[in-house]
Parts: sequence; structure tokens; C-alpha cells
Amino acid sequence: MNSFNANCENCPVHNANNLVKLGIDMKDFDFVIALAGNPNTGKSTVFNALTGLRQHTGNWPGKTVTRAEGGFEFNGHKYKIVDLPGTYSLLSTSTDEEVARNFILFGQPDVTVIVADATRLERNLNLILQVLEITDRAVLCLNLMDEAERNGIEIDIRTLSKELGIPVVPTAARQKEGIPDLLQYIDEVATGKYKCKPRRIKKRDPKLQKAIKLLSNELKQLFPNLPNTEWVALRLLEGDQEIIKAIKTGELEHLERTELLSNASDSIKKEKVTI
Amino acid sequence: MVNKKEEIVELANNLRWEVGGNFHDSLMESIYKEAGDIVKKTVRKKDEKHAFGFDKKLDKIVTNKWTGFPIMFILLAIVFWITVQGSNYPSQLLSSLLVGDLYETLKGFSHSLAIPQWIDGLLIDGGYLAMAWVISVMLPPMAIFFPLFTLLEDFGYLPRVAFNMDSLFRKAGAHGKQALTMSMGFGCNAAGVIATRVIDSPRERLIAIITNNFSLCNGRWPTQILIATIFIGGLVPANLAGIISAGAVVGVAVLGVVLSLITSWGLSKTVLKGEASTFNLELPPYRPPRVLQTLYTSLIDRTLIVLWRAIVFAFPAGLVIWSVANIHIDGISLADYFINWIDPFAILIGLNGIILLAYVIAIPANEIVIPTILMLTVVHFGLHGVGAGAGVMFQTDSLSATKQLLEAGGWTVLTGVNLMLFSLLHNPCSTTIYTIYEETKSIKWTALSTFLPIVMGIVLCFLVAQIWQLF
Amino acid sequence: MNPQTALLIFGMGMLLVMFLFYPEKGIYYRWKKAILSTERVLIEDALKHLYDCEYRKVNCTLQSIAGNLEISSDKAAKLVQRLESLRLITSENSNLFLTPDGRSYALRVIRVHRLWEKFLADETSVPEIDWHTQAELKEHKLTPAQANALAAKIGNPVIDPHGDPIPTSEGNLPEHVGVLLTTLKTNDVAIITHIEDEPKTIYSQIIALGLHPGMQIRVIENSQTRIVFDAEGDEKILAPSFAANITVELIRDEEEIQKEFNTLSNLKPGEKAEVIRISNALRGQQRRRLMDLGVVPGTIISAEMVNPSGDLIAYRIKDAVIALRKNQTDHIFVKNIEDND
Ligand SMILES: Nc1nc2c(ncn2[C@@H]2O[C@H](COP(=O)(O)OP(=O)(O)O)[C@@H](O)[C@H]2O)c(=O)[nH]1
Ligand SMILES: [Mg+2]
Repeated sequence: MNSFNANCENCPVHNANNLVKLGIDMKDFDFVIALAGNPNTGKSTVFNALTGLRQHTGNWPGKTVTRAEGGFEFNGHKYKIVDLPGTYSLLSTSTDEEVARNFILFGQPDVTVIVADATRLERNLNLILQVLEITDRAVLCLNLMDEAERNGIEIDIRTLSKELGIPVVPTAARQKEGIPDLLQYIDEVATGKYKCKPRRIKKRDPKLQKAIKLLSNELKQLFPNLPNTEWVALRLLEGDQEIIKAIKTGELEHLERTELLSNASDSIKKEKVTI
Repeated sequence: MVNKKEEIVELANNLRWEVGGNFHDSLMESIYKEAGDIVKKTVRKKDEKHAFGFDKKLDKIVTNKWTGFPIMFILLAIVFWITVQGSNYPSQLLSSLLVGDLYETLKGFSHSLAIPQWIDGLLIDGGYLAMAWVISVMLPPMAIFFPLFTLLEDFGYLPRVAFNMDSLFRKAGAHGKQALTMSMGFGCNAAGVIATRVIDSPRERLIAIITNNFSLCNGRWPTQILIATIFIGGLVPANLAGIISAGAVVGVAVLGVVLSLITSWGLSKTVLKGEASTFNLELPPYRPPRVLQTLYTSLIDRTLIVLWRAIVFAFPAGLVIWSVANIHIDGISLADYFINWIDPFAILIGLNGIILLAYVIAIPANEIVIPTILMLTVVHFGLHGVGAGAGVMFQTDSLSATKQLLEAGGWTVLTGVNLMLFSLLHNPCSTTIYTIYEETKSIKWTALSTFLPIVMGIVLCFLVAQIWQLF
Repeated sequence: MNPQTALLIFGMGMLLVMFLFYPEKGIYYRWKKAILSTERVLIEDALKHLYDCEYRKVNCTLQSIAGNLEISSDKAAKLVQRLESLRLITSENSNLFLTPDGRSYALRVIRVHRLWEKFLADETSVPEIDWHTQAELKEHKLTPAQANALAAKIGNPVIDPHGDPIPTSEGNLPEHVGVLLTTLKTNDVAIITHIEDEPKTIYSQIIALGLHPGMQIRVIENSQTRIVFDAEGDEKILAPSFAANITVELIRDEEEIQKEFNTLSNLKPGEKAEVIRISNALRGQQRRRLMDLGVVPGTIISAEMVNPSGDLIAYRIKDAVIALRKNQTDHIFVKNIEDND
């Protein structure tokens, strides 16, 4: 039954000793992780499995906590992990979506872990694809694999990973299955060992396509290293005030610079974080 | 550089005209088209017919025309029954421990230290006692009720209740999930208000918050039962007394539900008419609940937090309760000033000044209203041989003693009936008021939730009192 | 006090409260309205009226101002004088015209008006019939900066819910397009682009028919006495005087014409359907949420179960079971598909 990770039961990463749950002790962390996902996909359960905390979980598509933070240590790196509000999308003006959207863009998490429901992959892809528009360092945690298996749903993990351009880890967070793999991939993406090539959405409406191309070309000239010009262009069209402000104040330049920083050594990173 | 930045923003503004107002729609279509393509390549479903077979079968039963409602009521009844039965003994134990032994010990200790009497009175008789009282009445039912509810939530049953009840709530302008926040309110209104977070439509959520107070919370049931037993049960032959007074209490609770629906309807048609409203109710798959984790989190998340707030508010209230009975100006206590001043009005609405004062100073928790009333009655009328002294809340040992005491305070059947109504319809306790503010971040809605029930209570009590006197 | 007196006084008190606060007719409401109708309001309303004439290419006079603002001719004359002294308008043989300053002022007011209507339509549940009335009050209250903040908050919309373009903060406005519904011939297919919201009596009857911008119509009959047309599956009849308040744009491309108007609400448990389009009657948050959940053209939806009272249906949408109310599913167009497994 647990075929999806049985193959690696005794490889070194599965040594549970590698994971030190730090609870809410988050001093001097090296990397920041954001946890995004649809409501009721097991985000809090994953969060708890990583941090050893006990956030309220419930079988309710509704928010039970607004935002939680915790920490853990893996492979000698200290991680701070932020549980974002569960949302179906990142495009609207609701507070939840604003918080999640702005954190992923401006909070510059080193890795965004997207928790998705394996039994409803298509709907979850809505959010996944949107997140991949914003960030190019993400890991997909395909949770609830036990339920998927029980109901005869098979997912081709490798193809999915290729399609999305990011690591995909099947998990059953409630049974703590797949968490070691998840940690491993988080670590690889955070340290830059794994280079993501996130899939970007093809805008099918020609008028929209044209407008975005125009805007993103302008943006590229102004901010040559900005990785997500199409998303910024789209948000500009939607009149997102945060983005407009970020352009006017030059905060976007700051984003591109740290984009470079993330490839630099850990010590520089630490400085940036403690400032 | 700066110009270039402004130019881009300007360009976006102009492009918006060309793209048209509905590009969000086409974007969503693109995303789902892409999602569909990916799913086609990566997901294979074997035997789709039988997937989620258990869920489908169970859903057939719990949402069935004939079995849906009975199952729901039986489950809720079981939850309430276990709560009532299970909390009886621990409540008594806690009470004898905190209000009895520990209180005596503290008093003895302070005597041995020769602490001035007013400090001892203020802190121990006032603050400590109020706190101890609230804990012993509040903790056991909450520690049982919330985990049970959370188990149902974890299993996935609660959204089905919302699904079943939605018709009724839709007619009242509310969301089906309000059925659940109302049920939570029967445990504790503050927890009920927090639970409204599952309602993601702004208007319906506000409605659920404002009307939660109409669910008779666990702090008010003892008052209802006591008064009903004394005054309503007393009207009928002894062999019927039990059932009639129980009926009266249930009647008040049902009245609360009816008023909550009517108020929801009224709010949705008036002050909340313009608030945004959306509806979707997802029915997640059933999942086996994890009992231990549930016990732990519901204890931490709901019970302890609510309890903590109650304590924070109860201690100062105890100080006030003791003070009004013990601070005298020209030989008259503050309590007596207030009681004499408000009495004519209180009589007009079929209550008395003592009750109103008790409701004002016992705002932190409904649990301490009756002990405060008893204490004030003894002090105000200078009764001898009962009570524990000015400012010290107490309970009598028997029903008949309570009855005698209240009758000595001028209570009639009308006072009893109106107290039951007023206990249902008055401001929420301070914990709940604070929670409402935290959840809405709006003084306006907090004020409305606070004063609407009071006004309704006063009007209803007034009408009952005057019509009662007509006959 | 004896109970009779007490109840009597109470009853009288209630009457007094009603008298004071009754919506629209109560003293409080009238008093509020009275203090709102200041000189600024009159000036702005007059400019708006003049702009409207200009846009519709008709002539504006002192009389038309008096009529439109519901004030006496004397008052209107004074107002016109004041406007002229402010150099906001000029006159030429009793016809009144906006100066450039007057025009840009009028556009600022119109911008706030339409933004506010858009806000009400998308972000609140204020009924359609009240949008205009509330926007009439709001347009006099916001400063340009506040208007920009409002626009930003709702995503800088370009079209208001009646189908009118919203002037930009610089006062730009695109050309008027579309034709009146009355000019269509039998079998013409068109999209409603604009419904005039004044006068309120006519507007309220049009929206009572369920018509809204974005709706597709096909003319069945157009005669001197009436226009009969099919509006997304329902037959509607309007008198020409009413139809003249509706602007439409012809669809020429046969491909773009939607032919089936079955709605999701007609789907019975066990049946499947494919989404064709979400009607424009579902706006703002409601619309976005539905799309987030996967209700987009092309999605296959099956009706899964009904609640015990029989009026709430749960659908399987992209593998999730979601209950939707009838007032939403009435506006989701689908075409039934055979269940072939
Ligand atoms: N069977 C199964 N259930 C899970 C798994 N992960 C989470 N759950 C359950 O899914 C529900 C929602 O989980 P929660 O962490 O609260 O989701 P969130 O809303 O995304 O934070 C809870 O009842 C969890 O117990 C899993 O891997 N397998
Ligand atoms: Mg959660």
C-alpha cells in the first residue's frame, strides 16, 4: 500500500535523526519555507509533522488558524516554516489571498511548499500553477496519497514533476509517510542543488497575451533579473496596489537582487535574514 | 528611471481598456485548460464508479429525507447528554476544591498573616472567589463538549449537518453552517463566535456572529434550571414539577433558536443587507477521527483559551462585586445606591434592582450571576442567618433555602419567568464581546451584538410583565 | 404605574420611533437628505446632466436642468448664473454647453459615480435597484484621491455594472458604441452592453425582467407596439419606450452565438453536464469563487445528492463535492451530456 515511498525506507535520508523538530524556537534560521495550499489538504498536518507543534487540524474546508510559524532543523540547516492561510486561488482581493500572495512574492521564502490533495489534483493545480507564476523555488507535496490509493487514483509522479518543473513528493502526512523525502527535496531546493524550472501558464486570450507580453518586456528592461515578469505584468493589469507600490519604490529591484543572493553562500544569507 | 517606472504603470492603465473587463475569466479558463492537460497526462483512475463508495453510501444515509434529520438530532442529543452527565461530578469536585477547601485555606492563611481585612476581602472573597466559581462551573462541560464536537468535525460529519440545515437558514438569510456555530454556542458563545470562521461569506458570517448569543450557553443553563425548578415547578403538583420545569428550560432554549433565526432574517434585510454574500459548501470525504490528537488540540485551542479569557475577566469582576457591597458612602453601600436608583425601572420590566445590578457587575461570566444575586439579596435586605458576608458570593445548600431567600427578596413567579427570559436575552459575557471584537475588528458590529439582545430582552420582559399584570 | 398606561406609553413610543426612523419616509431620513442637497450637489448634478446631453448629442437648457434636478425654474436660473460665473458652462441662445473645465469636473463626478456602482455590484450585496441611488449620494463625497484609492481597491475597473465606461482619473472616456435595442430586426442576435439607469421607474422594470449587461438576446418580433426577444432562454416583451433604454452590440460571428440555455439548476441527481458559460449576473466575489472551484467553461459537473428538504444540491466538480444554491446554479449555463460509463 505504501508503495510510493517504500523503495527508500532505508536510504540515509530516512534516518529520522536528521530531523530535529524545533517547535516555535526559530532563532537564527537559515531558510524560510512557506506552506501554501487549498483548504483542507493537510497543510496543518504537514506543518505539525515538520515542527512537532500541534496546530489545530480539522476536516473542514475553512480556516481555523490565520497564520502559524514554527521551526525545524534538517541536515544541519535551520528552517523557519510559515503556514499560510488555505486558499483556492491567489488572484482575488480577499485578505487571505492577499496575505498568501504577498508573502510568496515579497516575503521571499527560500522554498514554497505547496500542499495538494492527490484525490483532487485538477482543482489543486489551479493554485499550484498560480504559485509557480510567482516563485521559481517550490516543492509540491502531494498529500493524502493514502486516500488516493484507496480510491484507485494513480498519479504518475515523475511525469507530473516534469510537467511542473519542480520536485513532487507523494505523502500521507497523517501517517507521517513521505515526510523524509519532502525534507530532502526542501533541502535540495533551498540550497540550490535542485534547480526548478517552473511551468508558466499559457494565456490563451490573444488580447491578454499581447498586453502581458508588452508589459513584461518593459519590465524586463527595467528589472533585468526579475524572474516572474509575467506575473508582475498580470498583477499590474489587475491594478494590484502592492505591485504598483513595489515598482514605484523600487522594491522589485530588491527582489531581484536577493534572487541572486539565494545562490550565494549560507553565511551571506544569514546576514540578510537577521537584519 | 523614475519616469520609466511611472510609464509602466501608465501603460498598464491604458492596456486595461484594450484587454477589457473580463480578462480574469479568460485567465481562469487558461489555467484550468492547462490543469486539465496535466491531469490527462499524469492521473489514471481505476474503477471510478466505486471510488469513494463508502462516502457515497454514508452520505445517502445522513442526507436522506427520512433519516437525515433524526440522525442529526440523535447525535447532537448524545453530545449534550454526555456533556451534562459527564460534567456533573467533576464540577462538584472542582467546586468543593476551589470554592470550598482552597478558599478556606487561603482565608486561614491570610488571617494568620494578619492581612488587613479589606485586602483579604477584596482579593480572596472578591477576585479569587469569582475566578474559582467560573472555573468550576465552566471547565468540565467545556472540556467534554468541545472534544466531542471536534471528533464529529474531524470525521467530516459537520458539513453534512450544514448541508441538511441550509434550507432553513437560507430562508433566514443565513448560511447552513450557522447551524453548527449555533450548536457550538450552546457550549460557549465565545467558542461559537470563533467557530464562525468556517463561514467564508462576509455577510452570513457577521449574522452568525451577532446572533450567536441567542444560543443559551453552558453558563446560563444552571440559572435556567434553578429558577425553573423553583418558580415554574412550584406551580404544579410535585409529580409533574420535574417535567414541567425541564420543559420550561427547553422552551427558553427553543425560543432562543427561534429568535436567532428571526434576528438573522431581520439583519440580512436591514443593516447587513449590503454586505457581500457568497455561498459554497464543500462536503469533504469522511476520515477516521484521531481521538488523542483531537482531545489535545480541542483542549488547547478551544477550552483553555476560552477559559483563560474568562479568568482574566472574572478576577477583576470579583473585585468589583466585593467593592460595591463593601464600599459605603454616608453609610449606604454603592450596591444599595444603584439598586434603589434602578429599582423602579427594574420593577417595570418585571425584574428587580438586584438582578439588574448582578447582570451589570457579573458581565464577565453568566456563571456567577446567581451567586451574586443571592449575596446582594442578603446584603440589601439585611437578612440574618444566611450568606457568607458582604461581597462574598455563595450558594445555598438546598433549593428550598434558595427559594425562601429569593421570596424574602420580593420575588414572584413573574420575577422568575422574566429572569429566565432576561438570562436568554441580555448582552453577551465580556469574553464573548471581546471575541466578537477580535473576530470582526469592528466597534460597530461589536456594539450591535452587545446591545441588540439587551434591548430585545428589556422589551420582551416589559411586555410580559405588563400583560401579566393586566390579568 | 398601572399596566394599561405603561403599555400605552410603550406603544406610543414605538410609533414615534417608527415615525422618526422609517426608511425613506421617516423624519431622520428626510432630514439627512435635506442637509445633503447643498450647493455643491446642485452644481455637480447640473454638470453631470450637461455632460449627459453632450454625450447623447442633444441640447440642454435651463428647463431641462430644472426638470432633471427637480428644482424650480427660479432656482435653476440662479444655478446657471453661478455655473457661468465659475466658468464651468457657457450659453448660446438658451442652449447650455460645458467649458473644458466644466467637462473635466463632470467627468470626475461621473467617475466616482460609476466606480461606486461597480464597487456595490462586485463587493457588496446591495440590490441592483439601489446602486444608482447610493452612487448619487457618494459621487459628491469622495475627493479625487479617495476615488483613486477606491479604484485601486477594486482593481481599476474599466466598465461599470450598467455597461458604461468609467472615466480614467485623467478624464478619458472611449467613444460611445452600440445601437439601441429598438433598432434591431427580427432574428438579430446581440449582447446587451448598457442599460440606462434613469428614470428609476423604467430601470426597475427592466431589471425586474432579469436583464443585465453581457446578456445575449435574439429578437423574435419588433413592431410599433412591442419588442419580443429571447434573453438567454426566456422570452421577454418590452414596450419600445422601455427598449430605448437598452443599448446592444450585434454579434455577427455565428461562432460566438450561444444556442443552448440550459442551466445547472435543471440538472437532476445522477445527470452530467458541461459548463458553457457563467452568466454576467454572477459578479464579483461570487463569480471568482465559483471559478476558483473549477466552474469554468468546459468543466464536467454531475449532480450528486439533494438535501432532505430537496432544495440544495451538491455537485461533483473536479472531484470535489460542493453544494451550490439555486440562485447561483440558475446563472450557470450548461449542456447536458450522456453518461456513457
Ligand atoms: N487520510 C489522510 N488524512 C489526512 C492526511 N493529511 C491530513 N489529513 C486529514 O485531513 C484533514 C485536514 O487536515 P488539515 O491539516 O487540518 O488541513 P488544512 O486545512 O490544509 O490545514 C484532517 O482531518 C487531517 O487529519 C493524510 O495524509 N491522509
Ligand atoms: Mg489548517
